[in-house]
Amino acid sequence: MLFVSAARTLSRSSLRASRVATRSYAEAAEKVLKLQFSLPHETLYAQTQVAQVNLPAQSGKMGILASHVPTIEQLAPGVVEVFEGATPSAAPKKYFISGGFATVQPDSVLSITAAEAFPLDSFSQENVRSLLQQAKAKLGDADETVAAEAAITVEVLEALESATK
Amino acid sequence: MLSRNLLSTASRAAVRSPAAAARGYATLKEVELRLKSIKNIEKITKTMKIVASTRLSKAQKAKAAAKMIDAADSQFYDVAKTSEVAAGAEKPQELAIAITSDKGLCGSIHSQLAKAVRRKMAEHPNTDIIAIGDKIKMQLLRTNPDSVKLAFNGIGKDAPTFYESSLIAAKILQEVDAQSYAKISIFFNDPVSSLSFEPAVKPIYSAETIQSSPGYNVFEIDPEGKLPADLFEYSLTSQILSAMAQGYAAEISARRNAMDNASKNAGDMINRYSILYNRTRQAVITNELVDIITGASSLD
Repeated sequence: MLFVSAARTLSRSSLRASRVATRSYAEAAEKVLKLQFSLPHETLYAQTQVAQVNLPAQSGKMGILASHVPTIEQLAPGVVEVFEGATPSAAPKKYFISGGFATVQPDSVLSITAAEAFPLDSFSQENVRSLLQQAKAKLGDADETVAAEAAITVEVLEALESATK
Repeated sequence: MLSRNLLSTASRAAVRSPAAAARGYATLKEVELRLKSIKNIEKITKTMKIVASTRLSKAQKAKAAAKMIDAADSQFYDVAKTSEVAAGAEKPQELAIAITSDKGLCGSIHSQLAKAVRRKMAEHPNTDIIAIGDKIKMQLLRTNPDSVKLAFNGIGKDAPTFYESSLIAAKILQEVDAQSYAKISIFFNDPVSSLSFEPAVKPIYSAETIQSSPGYNVFEIDPEGKLPADLFEYSLTSQILSAMAQGYAAEISARRNAMDNASKNAGDMINRYSILYNRTRQAVITNELVDIITGASSLD
């Protein structure tokens, strides 16, 4: 009896494992992921249907497909990659954000709000490098506020530097 | 008092009328000067109307973008079923953030919001106020001087930005212990249509309230992180921004309407005064003609 149930559990768990493994674009495609990407001064995506979105969450980078479990994540400085169209075959659109929040609603709507977002190719590497140097110089400032501001600037710029490489 | 007033007006009128009768030119000059100044006022109000109209499209764009930010926030609160902790018998301390701007000449927009805040104060006297914008500060200081804890000015010169609102939010968090309030609400002018606005209120949920909302477990949230606290600060900033953007749009359209009305009124006055001016001129000429003719006929 125990064996049987164990075997059944095993088979069910292996089944589940295989289902988890196969949960991919095909299954996710049954539901569609809608992206709401808004900035305080502009709306980049308004409930637009997309295939996948990669987020720089503070807990680590994550990819969002349709039917993602509802969650709310604080975003770290980094690149948001948006795969438009039905399948993620085309190259993603990349936006650099300095931080914000992302919420996955139960109905597969992903809302991203950020203070600023710019296409990654609009940044100049030289400017980033010189700004980073300036900010690093201020890190040891006696004024705590200045030093804290510099630390944030360095964090953002370092993320930007590694993203633009 | 009234009789004295009447007397003085009567005596003044009595003093003026013989002079006016003796020399028609004085009143003619007066009417002319008055007409000129009204024409200048009309020019000013027309220009202000045009300025407001050109700013309106930008303000409405800012409002639409800020509303989207709002929508993302409120969707989360809807799903999480976040709501205020029901107040007990004793009324706990509340915080009201009232947002208008520094600039006037836009009808009753500031006083309507002040009225809304006063209604709230009457209902719930144990409320602290943060006034954003000089106009609302003045009005609330007059009625509730002890409740105004913090005030900001320099608001409403241009469409509000995230930088502005984050400076305001940082100052609020620094000066006021936001977590100690049972409820935080933002008062702002909501542009219902391009012609009308009405004062509106929206809540801000504190970190504790967010965490204790019944639907919080629907979301997969890292229990170690300080997400509720960060979310509170971020949504305070973005809600202030969207309230400012909506208030700005409401104010600009109210100013355009106010200036439109002022220009129309000035137009009416100009019409009336030009008729008066022409009649007076005619009367003066007729009088002179009568004088000349009587003089000439007396010589015959």
